[in-house]
Amino acid sequence: MTSETRGNAFTDATQARGEAFIELTDVDKFFGDFQALKDINMKVGKQEVVVVIGPSGSGKSTLIRCINRLEKHDRGTIIVDGIELSDDIRNIQEVRRETGMVFQQFNLFPHLTVLENVTLAPREVRHMPKREAENLAMETLERVQIPEQARKYPGQLSGGQQQRVAIARALAMRPKVMLFDEPTSALDPEMIKEVLDVMVELAQGGMTMIVVTHEMGFARAVANRVVFMSDGQIVEVGTPEHFFTDPREDRTKLFLSQIL
Amino acid sequence: MTAVAAPPRSTNTALGWVKTRLFPNATSGIVTVLLFPLIVYLAYRVFLFVVVNGRWEVVRRNLTLFMQGTFPRDQQWRILVQILFLAFAAGVGTATASAAAADRAREAGIPVDRQRPIEILRRFWPVVLLVLILLYFANTVNPWLFVLGALAVSLLGTTARFLPTRLRHLGWLLVALSIIAGFQVVSGTTGRSWLAAAVVVSIGIWLSVRLERLAPLPRLAFKTALVALAAAVVFGIYTFVTVPGVGWDRWSGLHLTLWVSALAIILSFPLGLLLALARRSTLPALRVLATGYIELIRGVPLITLLFMGQFILGFMLPAGATLSSISRAIAAMTLFTAAYVAEIVRGGLQALPYGQTEAAQAVGLSPGKTMRLIILPQALRAVIPAMVGQFISIFKDSSLLFILAINEFLGVRSLVHAQTDFRGIAHAETLVFVALVYWAFAYSMSRESQRLERRLRVGL
Repeated sequence: MTSETRGNAFTDATQARGEAFIELTDVDKFFGDFQALKDINMKVGKQEVVVVIGPSGSGKSTLIRCINRLEKHDRGTIIVDGIELSDDIRNIQEVRRETGMVFQQFNLFPHLTVLENVTLAPREVRHMPKREAENLAMETLERVQIPEQARKYPGQLSGGQQQRVAIARALAMRPKVMLFDEPTSALDPEMIKEVLDVMVELAQGGMTMIVVTHEMGFARAVANRVVFMSDGQIVEVGTPEHFFTDPREDRTKLFLSQIL
Repeated sequence: MTAVAAPPRSTNTALGWVKTRLFPNATSGIVTVLLFPLIVYLAYRVFLFVVVNGRWEVVRRNLTLFMQGTFPRDQQWRILVQILFLAFAAGVGTATASAAAADRAREAGIPVDRQRPIEILRRFWPVVLLVLILLYFANTVNPWLFVLGALAVSLLGTTARFLPTRLRHLGWLLVALSIIAGFQVVSGTTGRSWLAAAVVVSIGIWLSVRLERLAPLPRLAFKTALVALAAAVVFGIYTFVTVPGVGWDRWSGLHLTLWVSALAIILSFPLGLLLALARRSTLPALRVLATGYIELIRGVPLITLLFMGQFILGFMLPAGATLSSISRAIAAMTLFTAAYVAEIVRGGLQALPYGQTEAAQAVGLSPGKTMRLIILPQALRAVIPAMVGQFISIFKDSSLLFILAINEFLGVRSLVHAQTDFRGIAHAETLVFVALVYWAFAYSMSRESQRLERRLRVGL
């Protein structure tokens, strides 16, 4: 963190340590005429936790949804674990198998029990035998601390429990990276902590994570880097202590003054 | 401790009920006073018609005609044997379904609620009522004995409950085979009936054979080979064994109505499903074809389609190929209903939040599996009422075959009134009887659909 010049956010500590696991180069994304992502360059290393923050409509969600191809980027390259995302469905499937995603609205499958939600992908995508998949599912449910809910349906659980099941569902595929799209934004305040606790534990366990969130406490506690986005651009990147104590960009300062 | 107000006093007495429901205020009281005599009078007239004035002789003497129409009388035993096969299939089917439900409940650690036979009678009470009315019209003791025999056979079928869990799917195969056998007993092995049997057996084997441990590709190849083998065996059996029978162009009466409706319903569902998926496909050609088909069919009255089936379908068949008018009618009904089913299913697909698709994609499910495991189960459950409504509608519309000079259930009426004894009289009686029979089946379908909705609503 030596002398960094304005506008050049990609040096030293702001860059991924070691080899990049996810690499976005000059990525643009349009919705019709609206440009959602402008010239995004970003690298995420193994075991790194990157928190993406920014005002709503700044392109945070679009950014991580491009990484597992829920959105198709229009220009530039995205490489995940050595696989470049293209129109080839096999590449996409391979990336998705290694990428867990947690949504703001949970998106659990309401017609399946918690256990079936978690075992579905291992059985249908990895062709794991039923018993093995169930053992794995119970393991991951224990990790998110709700093994006792395994036989219930998602509709019978609280929001916090549902989001933890969603995390377990993603973990059951043994992903190499986890993407979180505002995982606590749809939760009642008293349930936010139980979800964040699980995420902190995951981060400490060495999971590579990209987290879009408004939980600044979480960013401060576990992020290796904080990325600030505005108007589809990455405005500033830095370590949490640098970011929260000494932001350089005016837009960052304005945003932080509004939310802190 | 704070005082809790006592709950409002219950008015659960006869007098209380009359007061709160019939005379809650002046206006309602006047309505009650005016309507009550009217209702009593109507009830009296209905009673008079049913019990005193009704010339039910017309139904009593023509009961067989209503049931099997112009079907050759000396071949009637074929229909009776068919009913026994279907009764057996019903027994095996209910036993297998309830045993499978019990298996699932046991595995999920939920208490098992087994259905007692008496509850099945209550479940299908409209049909039970109908059977009792038919028996009331019977002239001899034979129909009573036959119904008892059919009940015994279906009880025999319920022993399928004792199949081990591992072999549960054999129960379903047995159901399919009994239905095919029942059909063949009447129709004989003429024409292309081997095709239907081969298709049913193939689908049954495809769905029931579990090959979890094989890798995905050989599993597919293995299953395909198995199904091809089964189809070949069926074809072989039909080639070497010839059973005489009465082709369905000579079926008639309620017997024909039930088969035609059932086939149109069973065939239109998969076709409609495929059309709905095609209409939402990303391939433009497929989408345009499906949309065109649906809009074309929906723009034409069913009766027009039925006539076109009779007069135009023949030109589209290869030279030498023939189709009985029954087959043409079933084809027209199927094509018609499929278009409506497609739109109903599409509605269900659209109602589902897109997050479901995204979540399925995000865990790596292929588009096909996303559709089959995540989207369709939810979408179809949501449209059960509309879909069953469509099925009830095509069941009743099968009476339009009457206009094509096919003597289905309603058409039999005109035969009855062509008899010298009943020419020009007792029209009301036969109409009421026909209506009652349609109602018993349609209402049972409606009840079953509501039951299915309740059972599938778990977790929602």
